[in-house]
This record gives sequence, C-alpha cells and structure tokens, in this order.
Amino acid sequence: MPDIRVTPLGAGQDVGRSCILVSIAGKNVMLDCGMHMGFNDDRRFPDFSYITRNGRLTDFLDCVIISHFHLDHCGALPYFSEMVGYDGPIYMTHPTQAICPILLEDYRKIAVDKKGEANFFTSQMIKDCMKKVVAVRLHQTVQVDDELEIKAYYAGHVLGAAMFQIKVGSESVVYTGDYNMTPDRHLGAAWIDKCRPNLLITESTYATTIRDSKRCRERDFLKKVHETVERGGKVLIPVFALGRAQELCILLETFWERMNLKAPIYFSTGLTEKANHYYKLFITWTNQKIRKTFVQRNMFEFKHIKAFDRAFADNPGPMVVFATPGMLHAGQSLQIFRKWAGNEKNMVIMPGYCVQGTVGHKILSGQRKLEMEGRQVLEVKMQVEYMSFSAHADAKGIMQLVGQAEPESVLLVHGEAKKMEFLKQKIEQEFRVNCYMPANGETVTLPTSPSIPVGISLGLLKREMAQGLLPDTRKPRLLHGTLIVKDSSFRLVSSEQALKELGLAEHQLRFTCRVQLHDSRKEQETATRVYSHLKSILKDHCVQHLPDGSVTVESILVQAAAHSEDPGTKVLLVSWTYQDEELGSYLTALLKKGLPQAPS
Amino acid sequence: MDPECSRLLPALCSVLADPRQPVADDTCLEKLLDWFKTISEAGSSLLLLQENPCLVELLFQVLRPQDLSARVLSFSLRLAGIFAAQEDCFQYLEGELLPGLFGEAGPVGQAAWTAPTVRSGWIQGLRSLAQHPSALHFLADCGALDTVFSLQGDSSLFVASAAGQLLAHILGLSMRGPAEGLPSLQAPDWPACAQKIVGHLEESLRSTAPPQVTQALNVLTTTFGHCHSPWTRVLWERLSPLVACLLEEDPLPAAHSLVDLLLSVARSPVLSSDCGLWETLAQTLRHLSPTQAGPLALGILKLQDCPQALRAQAFGVLLQPLACVLKAADQAPGPPGLLEGITGDSVTVDTLLSSKSACAGLLCRTLAHLELLQPLPQRPSPWPQAPLLGAAVTILQFCNGSAAPASNVGGRLCALLAGCVRVQRAALDFLGTLSQETGPQELVTQVFSVLLEHLRSPDSSATVLKKAFQATLRWLLSSPKTPGCCDLDPHTQLFLRELLPVLQKRLCSPCWEVRDSGLEFLTQVTRHWGGQAGFRHVLLTSEVPELAEQLLRDPESYVRASAVTAMGQLSSQGLHATTASPEHPGGQQKSLLVELLRILSEDSEGFPRRAVMQVFTQWLRDGHADVTEDTERFVARVLQAASRDLDWEVRAQGLELALVFLAQTLGQPGSHCPYAVAPPQATLHSPPAQALQALCRVRLFEFAFRALFDCDRPVAQKSCDLLLFLRARTVPHSGPQEAGGSPDVVSVEAALQRWRAGEQGPPLGDLEPETVLAVLRSMDLEGLRGALAESSDHVEESPQSLLQDVLAAVGVLGENQADCY
Repeated sequence: MPDIRVTPLGAGQDVGRSCILVSIAGKNVMLDCGMHMGFNDDRRFPDFSYITRNGRLTDFLDCVIISHFHLDHCGALPYFSEMVGYDGPIYMTHPTQAICPILLEDYRKIAVDKKGEANFFTSQMIKDCMKKVVAVRLHQTVQVDDELEIKAYYAGHVLGAAMFQIKVGSESVVYTGDYNMTPDRHLGAAWIDKCRPNLLITESTYATTIRDSKRCRERDFLKKVHETVERGGKVLIPVFALGRAQELCILLETFWERMNLKAPIYFSTGLTEKANHYYKLFITWTNQKIRKTFVQRNMFEFKHIKAFDRAFADNPGPMVVFATPGMLHAGQSLQIFRKWAGNEKNMVIMPGYCVQGTVGHKILSGQRKLEMEGRQVLEVKMQVEYMSFSAHADAKGIMQLVGQAEPESVLLVHGEAKKMEFLKQKIEQEFRVNCYMPANGETVTLPTSPSIPVGISLGLLKREMAQGLLPDTRKPRLLHGTLIVKDSSFRLVSSEQALKELGLAEHQLRFTCRVQLHDSRKEQETATRVYSHLKSILKDHCVQHLPDGSVTVESILVQAAAHSEDPGTKVLLVSWTYQDEELGSYLTALLKKGLPQAPS
Repeated sequence: MDPECSRLLPALCSVLADPRQPVADDTCLEKLLDWFKTISEAGSSLLLLQENPCLVELLFQVLRPQDLSARVLSFSLRLAGIFAAQEDCFQYLEGELLPGLFGEAGPVGQAAWTAPTVRSGWIQGLRSLAQHPSALHFLADCGALDTVFSLQGDSSLFVASAAGQLLAHILGLSMRGPAEGLPSLQAPDWPACAQKIVGHLEESLRSTAPPQVTQALNVLTTTFGHCHSPWTRVLWERLSPLVACLLEEDPLPAAHSLVDLLLSVARSPVLSSDCGLWETLAQTLRHLSPTQAGPLALGILKLQDCPQALRAQAFGVLLQPLACVLKAADQAPGPPGLLEGITGDSVTVDTLLSSKSACAGLLCRTLAHLELLQPLPQRPSPWPQAPLLGAAVTILQFCNGSAAPASNVGGRLCALLAGCVRVQRAALDFLGTLSQETGPQELVTQVFSVLLEHLRSPDSSATVLKKAFQATLRWLLSSPKTPGCCDLDPHTQLFLRELLPVLQKRLCSPCWEVRDSGLEFLTQVTRHWGGQAGFRHVLLTSEVPELAEQLLRDPESYVRASAVTAMGQLSSQGLHATTASPEHPGGQQKSLLVELLRILSEDSEGFPRRAVMQVFTQWLRDGHADVTEDTERFVARVLQAASRDLDWEVRAQGLELALVFLAQTLGQPGSHCPYAVAPPQATLHSPPAQALQALCRVRLFEFAFRALFDCDRPVAQKSCDLLLFLRARTVPHSGPQEAGGSPDVVSVEAALQRWRAGEQGPPLGDLEPETVLAVLRSMDLEGLRGALAESSDHVEESPQSLLQDVLAAVGVLGENQADCY
C-alpha cells in the first residue's frame, strides 16, 4: 500500500498510556502497550476493540514493540497478550525484558493489594507474556518476517530504553518512545543516525520547556534532604521499584560520601539487590563514566544505602527511606508516610507524578488534612516537596533529534495538545517538513512513493562491472536495461537478452535533428570545424572524424550538408540512438549555439 | 447525594466553568461523570438539578461564548446527556439548554468542533439522552441526525464508531413503542426518524465509496445483532436487495463488514428462517477470497440451524487450504473423510503460493478457525480427524524441513514455510486441540514423532518449544490406557523413553523460557502420571529429577519458582532422587525440605518464595512424610519465615498454611470450607486443650495477630477470616470468666494496639490458650472484617475525595502536570 498510517490508541495528545498503531507497506505494528494508572477498571488499558474489529489480533498485527519498561509503555502487555489474545512476537531490548516483569509484578501486587481491582492479570500471565518476548540488541537489524525489519537505537531515559526504526522495503518509521538528549548520572544521551525515515514519531512531554539545569535540581534536592537530616528529621522518598530511584540513590550515595554523613539511608529489601544485579548485567547500557569506573568500583554497590526492615521506621533519629509504591497509594510507602506525617521535622519528596485517587496526588495539591479510614483525619505537618527527575528530552532536545534523523515528516505523541501545537509550528518552520499531532483514535495517513524491487540479470551486472563501476549500496545510480514484467516479478536484463528471451527482432531507433549554421565554407571544412570544436569540449568522449567527412561521438553521427536555398548556411544533420539520448540532446544544444570563430 | 459533596459542588462547578482553571488530572472528569451517572441511575436527575442549581448553571456556561477547554466542553455535553436520559429532566432542560448544546447553535460548526474530544462528547451525550420519545422528537427537530450521519466518516475512529452505534440505537428506539410488534408494518409507515436513518443507509449502500458502504453495513450489523423485533425483518427485506447488489461487485467492497452483517442477520431468530438468506450466504462464500471466506465459514458452522448443504460448503471452504497442503505433500486425503473431494481450488493454491506472508496468513487463520470449531457441539459430523491430523503434521514437517514433497506445489510450500515460526505456533496449537480425539495409530505415531522433532530441533524458538511441550502434554494425557491394565500403552511408553532425554537437554537450555517451559511440562505430566509405574521407571532412570533439583538455584527467578513447584510435585509422589541414594531412603528428601526452607528465607525474589509456600501448604494438606515426621516443628519454621517476608503474598500464603494446620488440629467435622464460619450453636466438639496448646507452640497466634494489622490488606483480611474461624470453633466452649483481664491478656492487647498503630514491637513470647481465647473474645473481628472488605483506597477514591482533589489542585498546577513516569 502506498501510504503509512498511524493511529494512536493512547499517547495521542496525552501522556496517559502509550499505544500507537502503525501500518507500513501492509504490515501492522503496535508501538508500546501502556497502562493508565489513574483508572481502576478497563479504562486503564487502551481500547483494543478497534484492532479486534479487523479480525483476530494475531493475524492482524505483525508484531508489538515495547520501547522501555515504564508502565505507561508496557503495563497493558500481559492483558493484551494473555487476556485479549495476542499470540504474536513482542520485541524489546534485553534490559527491558529483564526489568519489565519486575515492574508489572510490582504493580499487579499493588493492584491486588488495594482490592477492588477487576480484570487484572496474574503472575502466571506476566510470565507467559514475557515468554513471547524476543529480545533485541542495539543497532541489530531484526527480521520480523521476510519484509519487515526493526532496529533499536539508544534512547537514554531509563536503563534499556530504545528508539525503534521500523522498515519495510524502502519505507521506514522511527518511534522514539521516551528519550533524553542529555546524559544523566547513570545513562547516556539518546542517539540515532541519519536514517531519513518517512516518518519520525517522537514523544513531546516537554514540548515547550527548556529544562533548567539538572545540576540545580540536584543541588536543591540534596540541600533539602541534608537540611532535614541535620535537624533530626526523616525523609521519605516514594519510588517505583526501578528507574528513577537508582539515579537518586547514586546522587545521595555520592553526597553522603563527600559530606561524610552518618544518617542511614534505606531502600526496600530485595529491590537494591535487584537493581544492582540488573545494572551490573547491563552495564553497557549505562553512561561512559559508570562503565569506566566500573572496574575500580561498581557505582551501584552502595556503601551508605542499606536494606530496609519494617521495624526501622520506628527508630529514633534521622534517616532517609526509599519505599514503594511511588504514589503513596498502598503498601509500605503509605504506611511509613502515615507514621511520619505528623512531625514537621520530617519531609516527603515526591520524585514523580501522582494520579488522582492517591495520597500522593492529595499532598502534592497542597491538602494537609487527609481523611483516613474510619473517619480518622491525618494532619500532614511534614514538609512536602515535588522534584521531577524524569529524563525526557526538552524542546531543544527534540529539535536536535529531528535534525539528527532528518525525517520526511514528524508526528508528535506523548504530550499535551497545547504544547504540541507550539512545537509542531517550530518543527515545520525550522525543518520544512509536515508535522502531525493526532488525538487518540485519529488516523494520520502519509502517502509514500512505493519502491518496487527489481531483479537484475547477471549479464547486465557483469557488463556494468566490466566498466569498472562496482555496485555500492550507498550510491544509487542509473542502470539501463530492459524491464521484463512476468508473473508479478520484475527483472532488468540487457536488451539483447530481452530480445532473445522474448523472441523478438531488433529494430534500431535513431533520433535526428537538423541544426542550421551560418557558414559559407565547404561542407568538409564545416565538418572539420565541428570535429575540432567537439573534440575540444567533449574530452572524455571518443570523437572521430570519419573518412566520409562525418563526425561521430559515441553513437551520435553528425553530417554537414549545404542548404538548398542559402549557400551561406550549412545544415548539420545530427542523429543518435536512444542510449545516447542525453549526450545527443547536449550535443545538439551545443551546436545550436554555433561554432567558435575560426582563427584567421 | 452526600451532604459534604453537595456543599463542595458549587465550588467545583465554578472551577469547571472558569476557562482560566485547568483541571487537575485527565481522569478527574471521567470519574466525575461516573459519579453523576451512578447518582442519576439511583434517583431522580430532576431532583438532583433542582437541589443543586449550580449544575444547570455550569451547563449554561457552555452556551456562552468563551474560551472553555475542549475537555470541559466535552464533559458538559456528556453530563447534560446523563441528566436528560430521564424524560422529566429532559423536559426541564429542553427549552434553551439542549438545543444550545446539541443543536446547530451548539458546538457543531464552531472552532471547538475541531477537537475530537468535543465531537466524542457530543455523540456520547446524545447516546445517553436518547432513551425516550421526547428525545426522538428533539433529534428530529434540531437537525442532529444529519450531523451524526456525517460523523460516521469522522477522522477519529472513536467518534466514527460511536456515531454508527448511535444511529443503530436511535433506529431501535424510534421503532420501539407503537411500531414494535407489528410485523406487517410496512416501511412507509415507519416513524420519521427511522425513515430518515433507513434512507441514509440505503443511500450509503448504493454509494460507490467503500467507506460509506462499510459504515452502513456496520450500523446494520449492530441493529440486527441487538434488536430481534419483527420490524427488523421488514428492514432486511427492504435492504437485502442492496446488499445482494454488493455481492455482484468485483472486488467486493467492505468484505469484512459484509461478513459481519450476514452473520448477524443469520444469528437473528427473526431473520434466519429466510430462505433467501441461505442463498446469499452461499453466494458470498463463493465470491470471497479464501482469506476473507474463513470467518464467514466459521460463523456459518457455528449457527444452530442452517441447511446441511450450506454447512458442507462452509466446511469445504475452511478445509480447502489444508486439502491443498495434503495434495502438495502427495498424500491422499485419507480414508473416508470430509477432505475427500475437496481438492483445493486454484484460487486457494494461488493464495498459498503467492508469497510467504499470504501463505502463513491463510494457514494460520484456517488452523485457528478449525481450532475454535473442534470443541463445539455443532461442529460437522463426521469430523475428519485423520486428514486434519495428517494436515497438521504435514504443515509442521514443511516448517521444519523434514518433508520431502514430490510435487512442484509441495516444493514451493516447503520453501515458503521453512522456519516459519508463526505457522509452527498455530499448527502446534491446533495439533494440541486435536488430541481431544484420537486417530489411527500410525498417525498418532507421526504426531509424536513430529512433536519430538520440534522438541529436539536446535532451530525451534522458545515460543515454539513452549507450544510443542503443551501439545505433547495434551497428547500424552489423552493417550489410551492398555485395556485391563492401569499402566501406559506400549507406544506411549516408547515415546516417553525418547522424550525424557530431550526434556533433559531442554532443562539445560541457555534460554530461561525453555528451561521454564520444560519444568512446567514436568510438573504437569508428573501430576497426572506420577502414579504410573511405566512413567516412574522412565523418569527415575533419567537425570531429569536431578536437573530439576539443580534448577532450584537457577539465576532466573521464574525458573527457580517452577523448579520449586516441580520438585514439590516429584517429592509428593516419591519421585525425587530415590535412586540417587538407595542406601539412605528419604535422606535426599530431607535435604529438599531444607533447600526449600532456605529458598523461603533467602531468595531475593518473591516467585520462588511463593512457590515454596504453595508446595508446603500442599505437603501439609497431603500429609507428606517429611511434614508428618514433626508437623509442629515444620509449621513453626515455615510460619516464622513467612512472617518476616516482605512479600505480602508470601505472608498471605503463610496464613493459608496456618489455616490448613488449624483445620487439621482442631478437626473439621462436616465443613469443607474453613472460611464458612459456623454459628456458635453449631454442634461442634470442644477442641481439646492440647490442640490449642499445639497452635500456641507453633506461634500461630502471634503470626495471625500481627497479620491482622498488616499494611497489606489481603493479609489482614485473611488473618481476620482465620481468627473468626478459630473463635467460632473455640470461644463458645470457654466461659466468659476464664482468664479475662489477666496480666497476659492485657499485655497481648497492648501489643495489638501497637501493631494497629503500625509499630513493630517485640514478640509476644509464649502464650497460653486461655489468654488467646480471652483476647479473641474481646476483639471486634466482625467489625474489622467489614472494614477490610472495602478497598484500601476507598477513601481516596470516594466522590468527596475526588471533589476535594479537583478543588485543591486549583492554582497549584505546575510542571508536574505533564510529567509522567
């Protein structure tokens, strides 16, 4: 099909849950399969009924690609594969494959723990889903089938995050997932080559923001933690199992080391080991600094961060605790929050966004008297801070990526409509390409020029090579031959072979043209002048003056004749074969300009 | 409405109506609508609006020209629809408001209309209000129908689909009431609204633009699918000639939607008696391409009453690709079977041979359709089991290159299918389904042989191996027993001998998915055949049990968990390493218990620890030898380890195990469900004092009391149920004067208070049964159970909390609004 179609089922003008359907050259790919944490019913998942309408899911979709392990990008995957019934391949990078089930399991536990959650997947479903995953390496071209191939590029953002190029024939789409164009403490910056896709689908979370210096935010964070600990308070940092937590751990560990601080830092048991294990395992995915220093000291083996035990929360004195879940909506983090909330010396730092319906959301919106179960009221006296450490590209970064990839069109997802509008205009102005921002459910259709593969005969290829021109995939060039279309296959062969195969006789077709010249000399002299002139200009061609007076350049024949009515005018008869059409036209144009004055 | 919510409502409405105030979270408006819908469904919307005039004011705000956000506008449209669903409330709002919202003067045609969310809100609002005759008049008068028609082709899938659904709904609604039940009512007498919609559908069906045809077909599919009143027969009579005209076009427009419509009509009890319909279906089957015909054929075969000839035709269509495969492999379609005579027409062959993806696509669809058909009672009879088995085996052989086809077509198929994982997966699934019935021994041998080839092949991917294991399991479990003998038949025995070395190899696979699938297979097959001498012999002479034990220390937690389950199963059936230490029978078994206890206390991942708890619970239930040796010590050790676990599911499993122990200790006459709390007057025997002593010795009470205030709600709930069960069994038999207020009771109650407050505190130490009983008596366990039945975030998820959140977010929205994870 000569078009590319993109339909976001999620992430179309929102940041809720990413799920984008792409149809390219008859292949259908689902990019990410995220979950919205703000709903407790099926609305948390993308509405897949729009795909099932087209028949069985597994028949319709050629593959699913997951960009990274955050739940708004992979949270609906077990539901999709084990409950809705998709049984095809799922592609993601190795770190994503390793970490994804941990987060899914973590969230499943919270969902079941809270109770009242309907239609949620089980542990067995997560495992069965993960068994369908095909892990890919960076820059490895993976053939999904004979026609569809995908390739992953480094995206920064979180460990294992990748951008994916989806290619069928000469048509391609790049999907960025979430990415970060500046390196952070443990990850590098996103990078992609000049792959010139037909379409770049990019996230646009910070479409209008030029983010302040990360250093400032880090300093601010450390200052606040330090001040609290100094005054004997406790700091609670609710986090999700893996991801941003590791960045904050490195930050605190380094600071504690430098300042020689003694207050304990705790992290939920199991998670530190897990994180450590995976970061060690996938050290090549971290940034250069971590990789370099890894031999002397593993950045993820923390000296100051200890495993947390439930009893520690009652200990007197200052401490810092990382606890899950990240939105204070159940389990351990909520329990600790309840204990510490009443003391103004303490502080809670929310390092990420919280959906409505969670305690995290309430305290971030400034509510200080929280109703608890049994009509109890919890007065929040502790300090509440919000500090975003999410690693997304800002407007500058997005523009930089567009510049790197040089796409023919851009499509914005994973952002707010108003901000997208601004960035869309900027991209269209700066790069002179079309930029789209479909809402969920809206389809963008991009026409493409179909590329038809043609087989070339060995004879023709050998002839080309005999001319010393070796084939080079990076340098497309013209090749002349006869195109034979038979049984829906296309072959380019030499004309001799075509004639032979088709049993046809050869007819030569020559183009002719008459050029009039003002020249009163004899025809032979005019021919000689033509010869000299062409010889001086066409140095790379074989120009010959034949005994019969005519001049030849390759297959082009030039003869001079007298004008029947005007003796002061000569007529040049130029003829050439279709093979030398270009040269023939050039030569004719040249002769029409006249001959240079003969030396007197 | 809750008075507090009523109090907050005016402020909420003014926040929503203020374009300068963005709404906190994109879920808030959805949740508000959920809430209003619940209120409307429970009572009078009119009363609600009269008591809360701010709501009407909010809706009027939308009519004023201002820069209201698209989300709030969409919300208001949907809200108005919810209220106007009740006729009296509709009339209350009808005057100015509803035409202003849904009529031509409303958002239609204004700048806001470009936002899909506004169009979606408009449609949904209309869908809600279209419930009564007044709504129909309104729709006809305000010109909304024309807009709905045009929205069928909307750029948003959501809006377009909702528009189609709305048309079907309005058509159904307008035909309800006086028009319903009058089969003779001719179309010209239909209500104006219905006339208009049917006219539009006719026009669309005549259109040359495929999208319009699709839209009309979809509306009709919904209509015939949901409404089975006599008037639908008149509608079908009127429209079926137009549908028949579509069949004459080449290529067929909107084939997928056409199939859906025809099946929807065929399923309708009012319409399926129409003879013309069967002819149309037969004609469509002939006309569709092999890929398109599959779903229709399957649908026809699923119908309850359908002419035999049509069923045969449909089954023929489904079988055609497989007949081609058999023919290509130079195999006769086999002994009397339905494949006989189905030679595979040239179109099917062309499709199969056209390209790799077309070939894989058609085969996968065919296999999936037959897989769905196989277990149905209405499947064709006789069922061509043998040819189908042959076809599935042949396809798998084409895929793994073990077939040697003589024909050209076979050679081409071989080339197209070589290594095609997609087809392998589908064929293995189908093969597994076919195990429900047997086949000729020769074919069954071929089945086992091809399964072994796949299990052995180094080229098999992890997903193919998983499916091969699953199919093998199904075939093994369905294999016939030798008559008069409870053991396995010789063929199966022979197969097992070949299979075990393969399983052994797969348990050593570098790929965790494969090791795990192998262990899952081992667990299942042992569960079913652990008692069969033949299986026991083959298993014990292999290295499989040792390898499974080694996998208890696998680096991948999923595999460790599966190894725990497998070892638990093997051990339960005495299949664990008895040959490894013949001189110390039971010696190895002990070490398994120790190893599982080690995993329970040391493993960093939850899956293996949970698996251990499940194995232990099963062992306790079954009276496993190692457990019965010293049950109290076993239970005490397990509970101690479980109580410290950070994974709440392990703690919950601990309570499950405690409950089994409790039931065994106290006895459970006549009750199979431990949670079924018996009334106090139940004629139960008083538990002997030593039984309660045993519970105290294993520290079951401390575990249960701590769990009662667990921060993870399912644990607390399970503990509450356990204690209620215990109290029901014990307390009625103890006098109220016993041990009440003793120092021990006071200290236990103090500890409970601390735990309730979330503190940890020291352990309770040794408890006396009397103390426990006194504490149990004094606790309000019923009240606690009621509280625990609610979700842990019910306060935060309540409407009042929602209103507070929206109001609290005003003015504090910053950068975090767009932040994500």
